Amino acid sequence: MADPNTSGTGNPYTQTHVVQSGDTLSKLAQRYYGDASLYTKIFQANRDVLSDPNKIQVGQKLRIP
Amino acid sequence: MKKQAVWLLATLVALLVVGCASQRAPAEQAVASAESALAAVRDTAQKYAPDQLQVVEGQLAGLKDSLAKGDYKSVLAAAPGISAAIGNLKDSAEAKKAEADAANAKAKDAWTSMGSDVQMMADAIQSRIDVLSKSHHLPKGVTADSLAAAKSGLDSLKAAWGDATNAAATGDYATAVSKGQAVKDQGTQIMKSLGMTSS
Repeated sequence: MADPNTSGTGNPYTQTHVVQSGDTLSKLAQRYYGDASLYTKIFQANRDVLSDPNKIQVGQKLRIP
Repeated sequence: MKKQAVWLLATLVALLVVGCASQRAPAEQAVASAESALAAVRDTAQKYAPDQLQVVEGQLAGLKDSLAKGDYKSVLAAAPGISAAIGNLKDSAEAKKAEADAANAKAKDAWTSMGSDVQMMADAIQSRIDVLSKSHHLPKGVTADSLAAAKSGLDSLKAAWGDATNAAATGDYATAVSKGQAVKDQGTQIMKSLGMTSS
């Protein structure tokens, strides 16, 4: 579920997304950028909470740069 | 009899001359005082009470005109009123200045928080533009045209932010905040066009 208003950390204008069941970074990249291959952009922006791009957890709030 | 009349006339003329002469110095002093008092308040009044200043300037001009004509009696009669008008002008201008200073101080606080806010907004937009520029397919709701418009809009936003910053640099925080708010509104529109905010 998108939470496009603000995030609690860093830049408040950076869009955020709360991970739902079935989400992957590729799906998020497809949704927000129109290009699944850009998932690394999301991964790099969330290195403080993600160590593996294939492992995201439901409820995590991710920054979408 | 005739001699007495001449003496009487001469005495009256002398009294008149002495009387006028005795009024001249205080009349000149009154005008000088009024000019001095008005000069002290003119700059502030020009900025905060220009209409009222114009009225007082007119009154002072009339006073000086009477002095030039030697009408010292009129000068002395009108001087207290003009002095009071200058006092009122001073009070009015200073009150409006205090009001403007308070508003500007409030705007300064708003400006301080606005500065980092707009910078973060611009950074977020720039970041999204950079990513979308690398995308082979744009997301739903974003077209090549809207992306191009967002790019030029961000440039425009940065220029407008420069104007706001310049206003702040001169101490005009009210104008800076007004311009800054317009920049934020523009940024919000750009974010919407890129799908970065909820509709």
